Formats: sequence, C-alpha cells, structure tokens
Amino acid sequence: MRAWLGHRVEGLPVAAIAALGIALAVYPLVATLPFWRHVVIMSMLYGAMGVAWNILGGLAGQVSFGHALYFGVGAYAAAYCYKVLGLAPLVSIPIALAVSCVAAVLVGLPTFRLRGHYFVLASVFIMEGIHIVVSNWDRFGAAIGLEYPVYKAKGFADALWHGQFQDKLPYYYLAFLLLGLALVVFRAIQRSPFGMFLVAIREEQDAAQSLGVNVARCKLYALVASAAITTLCGTFYAQYVLYVEPSSTMSLVISLEICFIAILGGIGTLWGPVLGAFVIVPVTELLRAYLSGRIALDMSALADGGIAAWLEYYARGGGGNLDILAYGLMIMLIARFQPAGVLGFLRRID
Amino acid sequence: MAEALLTAEGLTKRFGGVYANREVSFEVGRGEIVGLIGPNGAGKTTLFNLVTGFVRPDSGRVRFAGADVTRLRPDRLCHLGVARTFQILKPFPRLTVEENVMIGALARGGGMSRAREAARRCLALVGLEHKSGVLARGLSTGQRKRLEMARALATQPQLLLLDEITGGVDQPSIPGLIELVGRLRAEGVTLLVIEHNMRVIMGLADRVVFLHLGEKLAEGTPQAIASHPEVIALYLGRQHERS
Repeated sequence: MRAWLGHRVEGLPVAAIAALGIALAVYPLVATLPFWRHVVIMSMLYGAMGVAWNILGGLAGQVSFGHALYFGVGAYAAAYCYKVLGLAPLVSIPIALAVSCVAAVLVGLPTFRLRGHYFVLASVFIMEGIHIVVSNWDRFGAAIGLEYPVYKAKGFADALWHGQFQDKLPYYYLAFLLLGLALVVFRAIQRSPFGMFLVAIREEQDAAQSLGVNVARCKLYALVASAAITTLCGTFYAQYVLYVEPSSTMSLVISLEICFIAILGGIGTLWGPVLGAFVIVPVTELLRAYLSGRIALDMSALADGGIAAWLEYYARGGGGNLDILAYGLMIMLIARFQPAGVLGFLRRID
Repeated sequence: MAEALLTAEGLTKRFGGVYANREVSFEVGRGEIVGLIGPNGAGKTTLFNLVTGFVRPDSGRVRFAGADVTRLRPDRLCHLGVARTFQILKPFPRLTVEENVMIGALARGGGMSRAREAARRCLALVGLEHKSGVLARGLSTGQRKRLEMARALATQPQLLLLDEITGGVDQPSIPGLIELVGRLRAEGVTLLVIEHNMRVIMGLADRVVFLHLGEKLAEGTPQAIASHPEVIALYLGRQHERS
C-alpha cells in the first residue's frame, strides 16, 4: 500500500494527488461564500480546458488559438437546445458533441496540412470568422446572445435534469468531475501508442510519417478528443452562467486564455495546465472583483459620462480589462524567466 | 539478379524549370545492396523522396513487391515494408533513444510492451543498447545514424533506404557502420544506399547506379562503375583513375 502511494504520476506521488483531490472536494464545504466557490469552479473549468487543449497543443505540438470555437459550440448548443427546443442538457450534450466533432473535422482537414505558424493563424481566422457569423445570426440571438429562462426546480433530480441549480455546490462538483475527466483522458492518451505518435509528430513530423505514423489521422483524432472535452466545458459554462453571448464564449480572448493556461503551467505535461489554471484564474478573478472597479481604465467612457458614469461604473464592478492586463504581465514574466512554465519553477526546486 | 523488389520506371521530378530527376529507371533485387552515387545536386535525395512517397513524381512509376505504389504516402509505404533514414538526421530529440525506436515498432501494431521489446532488439542490433535511456538529442552524429537505422528496422522493412551512411561521421566510426549495413543484409533486408565515400560503396554494394544532373548515366558492378570513363570524368576525377 505504501509503495503504491509513493508511485509517481508525472512526478507527483499518488498520495499527493489523492490529498489534493480530497482537499479540492472538501474545499466548498469550508468555503461557503459563493465568490470563493466561484473562483475554484472557474479554475477547475479552465484547468479542464487547458488539459484538453494540451492533447493537441502539448502532445501533438499543434498550437490552436481557436479552441473557443468548441467551447462556444458547447455553450450555444446547450442554450439553444434548452431555450428554443426545450431540450434538457443531458439530451443536448450528445448534440453538442456531434456538432463539435463535425466542426473539428471541418477545421482539421484543411488546416492540418499547414505547418507551424500557419496552422496557428488559420485556427484564429476560422474561429474569428465563426464569431462574426454567430454575432450576426438572429437565430442565436446575434450579438446579444441567448439568455436562459430561469427554472425553479422541484427537488435535486429535477434541477439536475434541467441543469440549473440555485446553489453553487452542484456546479462545483460538476466542474470537479470535468477536470477529473480531462486528466484521465489526457493521461490515457499520453500513455498509449496514439500518444506516442502525437509526440513523435510534435518532435519531427517527417520522421514520424516515414515510420508509419498516419500524421493527418492522428492530428485529427487529437483535435476531436480535445474539442469534445472543450465542448463539454462549454455546455457546463452555459448552464452555470445561464447566459451565452459571442464575446464570452467564442472569442479570441477565451481561446488565448485556454492556451496560455496550458503554456504558462507547462505545455505537454499532465499537471501543467491545472497548475496554470489555479494560478491564473484566481488572480484574474480577484483582480476583476476587487481592482477593476476601483482603478478606472476605461477613462474615455468615464470622462464623457460625468459623475453618473463613474457611479454606474463602480456599481457594475468596473471595466474588467485589468484581468487581461494581468494576463499579459504574467505571460511576459514567465516567458522571460521560465519558458518551461510554472511547472518549471517547481522542477528547479526538486 | 534476383526477383525485383523495387522497380523505378522513368521517374521524373521538376522543381520549376530544373529537372531534379529525369526519366530515371532502375531495379533493386531482393536481398541486394544497391549503391546510389553522384555529385552534389545529382538528384539522389530527390530520388529517395520519390521512392518513399515524400515527393510525388511528375511522371513515372514506382513498383514495390509487384504492386504499384507510386502515389502512396510515406506511412502507407512503411506499412508495406519500405523504410528510410534521412540525410539531415531527424531524431525525435526530446524522446529517449528507446522511445524513438518504439515509435517505429508501434506503427506496426502491437502494444507498448511488445514495442519496447522490439526496440531493445533493434538497439542491440545497431549497438546502441547502452544509450536506450538517453534523450536522442544527446547523441553524437554517428550514434544518431545508428538510431535512425534502429528506428527504421523496428518497422520490419523489406527494403531500407539509407541516405549517407558515413556522411558527417568521424573516421573511426566508419568501419562499424559499414559492418552494421552488412549485418542488416544478413538479417534479410534489401538495401538502397546513397554514399559519397567510394571505398565504402565498393566494399558494400552489389551494383551501383550513377546519377548526374538528375539522369542515370551509368549502372553496373562497383568495379565497372569505377572504371566507367564518364563517372571518372564527372565524379571520381583522375587521381582515382591512377590508383
């Protein structure tokens, strides 16, 4: 038993993983304020997306700046199915996954012929293109988006069916499950022949192909797996905030957040994106909550509107750009001091 | 000559206005070692790329074991039994030596543990087993050549194309690499070899194909090629003629 607990999964002993998992599971019972639960929910959600992104970006080395597309598919599919078609999340999830799979294949087939920077650029253009389409598509609420009708559930099972909870606790454990699922999938792929092929493609694509690796098919499978988990995260997000609109689901900012979490935490590693998420998300959420209301960055809007604008600005919690600023600062610092990511700092201590 | 394993028929490839290969035809019999020589820019590597599917010919065909494989991708050809090494070596730098070789074995099917066994066997064959836990980027050029051979062997090829066995390798390592190629033949692998070192090719090859400016100028036994007037004039030079 003791030997088993000391067994390491990518440098982290099983005992430590179990302890962290239990701590995470117990946390919301201690931290009962919604805000503190929210911070960890978002950390776990972004952690799951970072891990999913890492299947394609870290293992296969295909850096995608377009993953918000699959996040958006999950969010919009859930919202549209619920609001317009009256379908519960459990029904809309398979639909979302199917749409996401088709989208991944449509994106992957042409773009995977491109190498290096060109793939990155293509991923941005496709996602931004679809962002523009969705922003103008009345069926999906155009730029305003889709707001969920709030549902008063009769009991827990009913709430689960509708995917709407009054309390943050169920959301917390769903996000916990999502993170666990992402980690298990990543680990399974990493340790399989398929994962070895992805790494071989990352390291030297021509050599991989000459050794019999079907490069195009491996990349496509990696993208589909990565997109599927990201789509589940999108559905969760929609059910959590009960409101989807283009800029908070299908935008470049979300795409960048997903991939920077993986890159800052430690690209290609199992724990890196989780670490990245738990560093970056709390910092940005705290900044959003505490600072952006007090330090006015949107000076122009405030100057035009006089005292009333200032009051409204404070009341609403501020311009909200400071978190993006903090993001940029963290990226610069880590790129400068530890290109291997936050995990690199810990490795150095070892 | 034994039954033809590889047949190239009239292979032509142009890059812009330049013919990299023009109407090149040759055969490699099962169990043979065929040398491919020629000055820089003669089109040797392009010919390799045409045969292994990395570049598609403008015209001509490639047959392997009787089947037309002209437009197949490299990975498909690998599954049929064609493997290669690269002139500019392409190890997977951040994988260990053993993992490098496992990739070749895995693509052939079978699980991780079987691939690990196969990798150990291939590494022993090329004499790299003592390096199996080392990251590939830490190897010397000679060791990288051996690694590429081990990796290619792990795919269980019938035909192995070696692009420059001794190029960039220190003199003391050369005899070992030559001996290794002989050992591969003994394992039943057919070989097509690009090589600049005439002494090496004379000792190894059953037949030699001489390329110049993309065209096949001569073909024959190493002795016949070495005394071929055009080969001497274009490639070997007069010093060789005297000796």
